[in-house]
Amino acid sequence: MSKHHSSTGTLASDQVLNITDLSIQFGGLKAVEGLSFDVKEKEIFGLIGPNGAGKTTAFNCITQFYHPDRGQVLFRTRSGEVMDLVGHPVHQIIRLGLVRTFQNVEVIKELSLIDNVLIGAHTDFKSTILEQALRLPRARREEKEMRRKAEEALEFMGIAHLKDAPAGGQPYGVLKKVEMARTLMCRPKLIILDEPAAGLNDSETAELAQTIRRVRDTYHCTILLVEHDMRLVMNICDRICAISFGQFLACGTPEEIQNNKLVQEAYLGEEEGE
Amino acid sequence: MSTFLQVVLRSLETGGVYALAALGIIIIFRTSNITHFAQGSMGMFNTFVVATLVTSLQLPLWAAALCGICTAIVLGCLVDFVIIRRTKKVSPVAKQIITLGLIMVFVGLAPMLFGVDPLMLPRFIDSGDLNILGATLSYNGLLNILLGFVIMLVLFYVLQKTKMGIAIRTTASNEPVARLMGVPTRNVTLFAWALAACLGCLSGVMIAPTTSVTPNVMDPVQINALIACVLGGFQTFYGPVLGAYIIAIGKNLLTLYVSSVWGEQLMYLLVLLFIVFRPQGLVGKKFIKKV
Amino acid sequence: MKKVTVNGQGPSGNLALRVYRNAYFRYILFGVIISLLPMLAQSGVMPSSFLVNIGSVLIYAVVAMGLNLLLGYSGLISLGTAGFMGLGAYISGYLTEAMELPFLVAVLVAIVVAALLGTLVGFVSLRVAGIYLAIATLCVSEILRKTFEELDQFTNGFSGFTAGYPILFGISLKREATFVLLTVVLVLVMMLTHNLVNGQMGRALHAMRGSEVAAQAMGINLLKYRLIVFAIATAYAALGGALYMHFVKFSYPSTWIMMFSLNILAVVVIGGLRSIYGTVIGALIVFAVPDLVLKRIPVIGKIDGIAYIFTGVLIILVIMFYPNGVVGLRQDLKRLMSKLFGKKKEGAHHV
Repeated sequence: MSKHHSSTGTLASDQVLNITDLSIQFGGLKAVEGLSFDVKEKEIFGLIGPNGAGKTTAFNCITQFYHPDRGQVLFRTRSGEVMDLVGHPVHQIIRLGLVRTFQNVEVIKELSLIDNVLIGAHTDFKSTILEQALRLPRARREEKEMRRKAEEALEFMGIAHLKDAPAGGQPYGVLKKVEMARTLMCRPKLIILDEPAAGLNDSETAELAQTIRRVRDTYHCTILLVEHDMRLVMNICDRICAISFGQFLACGTPEEIQNNKLVQEAYLGEEEGE
Repeated sequence: MSTFLQVVLRSLETGGVYALAALGIIIIFRTSNITHFAQGSMGMFNTFVVATLVTSLQLPLWAAALCGICTAIVLGCLVDFVIIRRTKKVSPVAKQIITLGLIMVFVGLAPMLFGVDPLMLPRFIDSGDLNILGATLSYNGLLNILLGFVIMLVLFYVLQKTKMGIAIRTTASNEPVARLMGVPTRNVTLFAWALAACLGCLSGVMIAPTTSVTPNVMDPVQINALIACVLGGFQTFYGPVLGAYIIAIGKNLLTLYVSSVWGEQLMYLLVLLFIVFRPQGLVGKKFIKKV
Repeated sequence: MKKVTVNGQGPSGNLALRVYRNAYFRYILFGVIISLLPMLAQSGVMPSSFLVNIGSVLIYAVVAMGLNLLLGYSGLISLGTAGFMGLGAYISGYLTEAMELPFLVAVLVAIVVAALLGTLVGFVSLRVAGIYLAIATLCVSEILRKTFEELDQFTNGFSGFTAGYPILFGISLKREATFVLLTVVLVLVMMLTHNLVNGQMGRALHAMRGSEVAAQAMGINLLKYRLIVFAIATAYAALGGALYMHFVKFSYPSTWIMMFSLNILAVVVIGGLRSIYGTVIGALIVFAVPDLVLKRIPVIGKIDGIAYIFTGVLIILVIMFYPNGVVGLRQDLKRLMSKLFGKKKEGAHHV
């Protein structure tokens, strides 16, 4: 906890995230062991690995849902500060400019799409509960401003016409877009996408690839993709880190990863196993 | 020393009642994933049946109690068949609310069927006291304590050794898998509801002679049994039984030695504090949250 | 109903329509209509005993609004309502009668004390969510009820505590005036709740109910919102209790039992989770229908315990078959109407 808010360690000027020696174990099982990699600014970076490789665990260690036993997660926040995320409370991570999506989309069925997107702006509200309860000018102004911003995000994702429809009953593809729009609300520096292609068909996956690039270019942020689906990763990633059984295998461009012996073996092993 | 022993003996008696009710709650929880708030009111309803048979038809208590157990079985099956079975898709909290609605139904039905006047229920053994090291215990109290132990022993034997018991435990650990493995989970839950209703009826017949039979005769039993489940943890069958005796003894000792006014509240407060620091209860594993 | 969240931003330019669509205007209109009831009673159109019934319904609606914040919006169950309402009743009763403090001060103290206690429960709720929470809150309520019984120098124990109608700014209110006061309070609570649930906090509660993990990732501090929502809910309960004390004018420990909490829960479930008007309708169904309607039906009215059976069966039916509650009827009726009157309209809706 003493690591809080201290800027230990250094980050090369073009890096946004640097993970060193990340390790966590659950009751003797080493889910992630000595993992290190770094993500550069404005990059689309892929974290891949066969089933059970520890991708999701690694990702949960970065977003502090799990507190790693060992290691450092250096992050350049949206204000430019360099910080070790380890030990930060989960709900404060988004304030620093790091936001995530969920593998099985987490949207609120009872809320309209725009209200769902507005949840992403939660930390940007300055007005107090009392101001909101009495609808004082600042609360009203803020609500209006955020609503406009949310409309823009929905517009960007191409689903602005659905903004007042309840999320319940919307097709899966639309909900994924809502989730993406929600991440755009917090002025993100780094967006982590958890298996965004899961449950999408080929044409939807192609559209997703387009969207991810557009998000990066328009919102000037970095994207870390945790993905099982190789097509998407090979298609859009600038660099890829492959892991297996919680350990680092290789890091490099898509071509390098595709030709890497260790990676091939890891994936081949999985196919034989199936 | 003799007052201490006296209190402990009394607590064993009430603890047994709480334990039986708590067992009913935990069996329902493990098989149907419902926190059964109506355990007490169903027990109350069947106690009314027993009391009515005794007062109106002059039936001997044991015969009336047997009839009460029969109606309890019918009622338990009915609740499962008419309501619980049809709520597979409902969230746990909503299921909880259903059992809360059941409380109201039974509390309403009791005066409708049995009248508004409180009824009296005699004890199994009318009179006679036992003297143990200066503490007195009525023969009926002794019977209650022993009855509680015997029923629990039989129940644990059934759960551990018989086919039905194994089916219950399998359903408890994973209902969908149990169903796929050919365990008749529907019969298991039906059996569980009937069993819980019987336990409720028994605890009612045991506690009623100390007061009179009214729609809220079982309220303290229900509340203490629930708290016993929380204290003992919802993951084992013996945890809540342990919790029940701890609560009964603790409550009485606190009332005796700390404060006659605040004893009971203090006990509840201690349990609350305990679950803040150990939400899984006395016996039970901690879950790792999956993200 | 929920759609009309933004002031006067209706699609139509028609001013009258825009005013009508304004949510606040509707709440006030609702309040004005309710506060006409005493006049009806005085002119003899309505038996004046109804006034006591309806007045209590208004109080219970305030209390249930708090529980709806918990159960409906945040998905947190509480069986502690009765205890906190009783606490509010006894505090304001004692402060006005025994210490002769002004009514408003007494109510304020009642609210603050209850809210502080509520925050503690909120803290517990963070540790014991889900099925345990109902039991934990029941435990709290039991502790409070026992305390009401035992602390007889403050509560007058089993014989009950009595208080008079409120005295506001030196004017002693009569029954009719108190009724209007209750209406004003209810309308204010409705507007306050409306603002809360349609803003940042409402969305945070929704998110918390949906998934705690996702909510945290969106920057929502679970502890903060748990504490706030429990504080507000208990504040509403205490406010309702204080009003009860000065409208019904007596309070017994035996009033604040689990059955009472269950009735409030029934209000929320039957009326409709996450609906402000639904809560009021639910209160009417649970607390007025048995007394005003059921008891007047020849055979059924004579049955003892009919009120409980009615409410209990309704809860079970609503949960099993109609989880949206009574307010859901409106939408379903609309849908039915559009189905009956030509498919063209419906088709247009879907585009």
